[in-house]
Amino acid sequence: MSMNEFLSTYGALIVGMVLAAILALSLYLPLMAGQLSLASPGFYALGGYIAAVLSTKVLLQNGQAISPFPVHLLLFEMLLAGIIAGLLAVLVGVLALRLRGIYLALATIAFVEILRVLSLNLDITGGAIGIFSIPQPFTNAIQYLLIAAPLLLLSAAFVYRLERVRAGRALLAIREDELAADTMGINPTFYKVAAFTLGAALASMVGALSAHFLNTWNARQGTFDASIAYLAFVLVGGSRTFLGPIAGGMLLTALPEFLRAVAGIGGLPGWLSQFLREGRLIIDGLLIVLVTIYFPQGLITPDLFKRRRKAAEKKES
Amino acid sequence: MDFGHLLQQILNGLSIGSVYAIFALGYTLVFSILRIINLSHGAVFTLGAYFTYTLTGEPFGFNGVLARAALPFGLPFPLAMLTGGLVAGLVGVAIERFAFRPLRERGADPLLTLVSSLGVAVVLVNVIQYLVGAEIYSYPGNVLNTFGNVPAAINFGSDTNAIPVRTVQIVIFIFSLIILALLTYFINRTKIGKALRAIAEDPVTASLLGINVDRFVLLTFFLSGFLGGLAGTLVGLSVSIAGPYFGIAFGLKGLAVIVLGGLGSIPGAMLGGLIIGLAEAFVPAELVAYKEVIAFALLFLILLIRPRGLLGRAAAQKV
Amino acid sequence: MSDSTPFLKVNSVTRRFGGVVAVDNVSFELQRGELFGLIGPNGAGKTTLFNIITGLTAPTAGQINFRGQDITRFPPHRIATLGIARTFQNIRLWSNLSALQNVMIARHTHTRVGVVSGVLGLPGAAAEERKTRERALEILELLGLVDRLDERSRNLSYGDQRRLEIARALALEPQLLLLDEPAAGMNPNEKQTLSDFIRQLREQFDLTILIIEHHVPLVMGLCNRVAVLDFGELIALGDPFQVQNDPAVIEAYLGDETALDKTKPRTRVRK
Repeated sequence: MSMNEFLSTYGALIVGMVLAAILALSLYLPLMAGQLSLASPGFYALGGYIAAVLSTKVLLQNGQAISPFPVHLLLFEMLLAGIIAGLLAVLVGVLALRLRGIYLALATIAFVEILRVLSLNLDITGGAIGIFSIPQPFTNAIQYLLIAAPLLLLSAAFVYRLERVRAGRALLAIREDELAADTMGINPTFYKVAAFTLGAALASMVGALSAHFLNTWNARQGTFDASIAYLAFVLVGGSRTFLGPIAGGMLLTALPEFLRAVAGIGGLPGWLSQFLREGRLIIDGLLIVLVTIYFPQGLITPDLFKRRRKAAEKKES
Repeated sequence: MDFGHLLQQILNGLSIGSVYAIFALGYTLVFSILRIINLSHGAVFTLGAYFTYTLTGEPFGFNGVLARAALPFGLPFPLAMLTGGLVAGLVGVAIERFAFRPLRERGADPLLTLVSSLGVAVVLVNVIQYLVGAEIYSYPGNVLNTFGNVPAAINFGSDTNAIPVRTVQIVIFIFSLIILALLTYFINRTKIGKALRAIAEDPVTASLLGINVDRFVLLTFFLSGFLGGLAGTLVGLSVSIAGPYFGIAFGLKGLAVIVLGGLGSIPGAMLGGLIIGLAEAFVPAELVAYKEVIAFALLFLILLIRPRGLLGRAAAQKV
Repeated sequence: MSDSTPFLKVNSVTRRFGGVVAVDNVSFELQRGELFGLIGPNGAGKTTLFNIITGLTAPTAGQINFRGQDITRFPPHRIATLGIARTFQNIRLWSNLSALQNVMIARHTHTRVGVVSGVLGLPGAAAEERKTRERALEILELLGLVDRLDERSRNLSYGDQRRLEIARALALEPQLLLLDEPAAGMNPNEKQTLSDFIRQLREQFDLTILIIEHHVPLVMGLCNRVAVLDFGELIALGDPFQVQNDPAVIEAYLGDETALDKTKPRTRVRK
């Protein structure tokens, strides 16, 4: 298969994998502070709606959506989406992040559901049908990498560095023992809200980009299912290092495609190929259960790196 | 608003509220004993509804691997409902055995168990979809006619000013009250119930007193699944089974109920259920689309203002 | 701050939990540089008092004054910034983080570098990062933990963990150090070493130290003054010798410790 053929067949998948990795990172940020927030899909949906509404109803030229959509306007939408989500996150965060553990998870679930029902019923979001014919800035799916890839690299670099500086350590301390962190001079609410807000802004930016990428946007983007999927990215990929969510996001997005390809192999019994085709969520769910029980830190753990380093050091001595 | 309308709405609210209560009790039983929130409860609820449907001998639809399959026999509805509940209870036990016990034995954080239960819920619901598709199923009409000729609605008003209430709703309400009463009696008056309460207070002491904690945990999950399955069937009876995901939405609403009533409190679950049922019933017609939000808005609000709910105990934090 | 202002003033502090009175109208003052012991039987309210001083619990009544400032309602992190650090009765280290990280994190309030410059690795931030690390290493060295700096703190021995908690508290550069049962689980030799070490700490870091201790002889040999709590009430306050011979104290606590008949319930004796 030539490079062009490969890119046109798998271009959308690759972009999807990159976007999923960024979404996983958006969940990882609050998780660094020990917060299980299932709110990312809500902000993702919000960002998408902002971009969709702006590009189809506001940023019009002669009453029509601008097509091809200028990249600088897309970046503007992403920025705006990030800011609006950030503000909303601060508000929600200050209210809800006093809660811990289960209570916080429940509050974020409630928040996402409220947003979802609102989006189903408001006119501006197009109700149940949503918004469609969102203009595209690019002609090929793979070209979205021009924006998605730098965003992934920037966020990954940010999180990587974060773990090595004062603010990141504060988050880890809060995760390990919030009370002790408080006693040692770290303001837990400030840092939790900050992590939550950054995650929200990131998810929202991905949403804005995805709205153009997917061409339509509706309430099905911000569902409980999505929460599960993102959660699976981080839990399976690894919840203790920034590489975990990236790997998890990419793997679990590619997996259904891979299974679908396997399903296409002749000679498989009907029920099996149907399972492979449609069983993505079943697999996600099973993975979540198995990983929680047997690999609580996910597949990619910090220990992996320690062991490799130790082995390398042994070799040298 | 005239009295007739009011009565209708109250009865509707109580009816659906009592089903919420039964459903929420399943959550509460597990939480009070094990301090975990079992998010697969909503999936078990769904399973119960589907099991009952199968047991009445009705065929499945056109999608899914089991398209158009049906049992070669059909049970009368009350029996199907009970059996469906029992099977749901067994599923609950299986979930505990495979998805929760390994975590509990490790002393894992309750949050991990919540996540695991989430995974189980996703698996179950999607397996249902895979097997029987996402169509809407309804129980055979005239289910109530098992006991003779029962009218479809009872008129609470007069001939000129009719206030009809669906008989089904009344039956569900009465049935739920009976279940709740039985459960309260069971928890408070029987030896088994006492043991359960002891375990909820302090599992270590309870086991030192000779109570086989593991076995009671299984019993709890069985009861919880049974209640969930029953509730599922009742809701399926009241409205219809709107696809495998109707349990997930219900499950989330059930969370609102138990947080409102107070995590771990059995009377709280009942109270919370009735309150939310009534609140939903009184939503004005124009805002019907937002009915779903009420439960979640209440959930969010309660978590902010008074996380321990109406009747829950404040959690003490040891330093 | 004039010389007459007490360093720490606990003023009529009461704390009720439902029907239980954990701390009952307790008042005392600490002078700067003191080594002050807080003793009493289990459940006497000592740790609750620590929690009130450090802001983890609010008192039902009363105030805490630190260097003339009313800190009663301050959140814990603010109290830490003002210079009060503590250790915990049940060790509360950040267990999955290394010993070095534990101590570095406690430098939080003494470092200012913002997130952006930190993440970007700007020179100012990098320099401060280095300084933080050096300072943490110094403290670990002082506590004899430097050879285990990269170990996860949960993997350290019990004694090492206790010392790490002290190291962490020291990293805060406090003026007032609260130690909650620092000698728990130590044998007599270790307790003696600890006692000398605490005295050394006071000298070296110009600290005022408030210790909760169960092991009475340790406190008696170490502290300038001792306060005794029983059932939340302050029943004695003075120098160790005075307190040791106070009949109320002997009855409530010291007598109990020597009594072998531990099945007798402790009853409250009202004077």
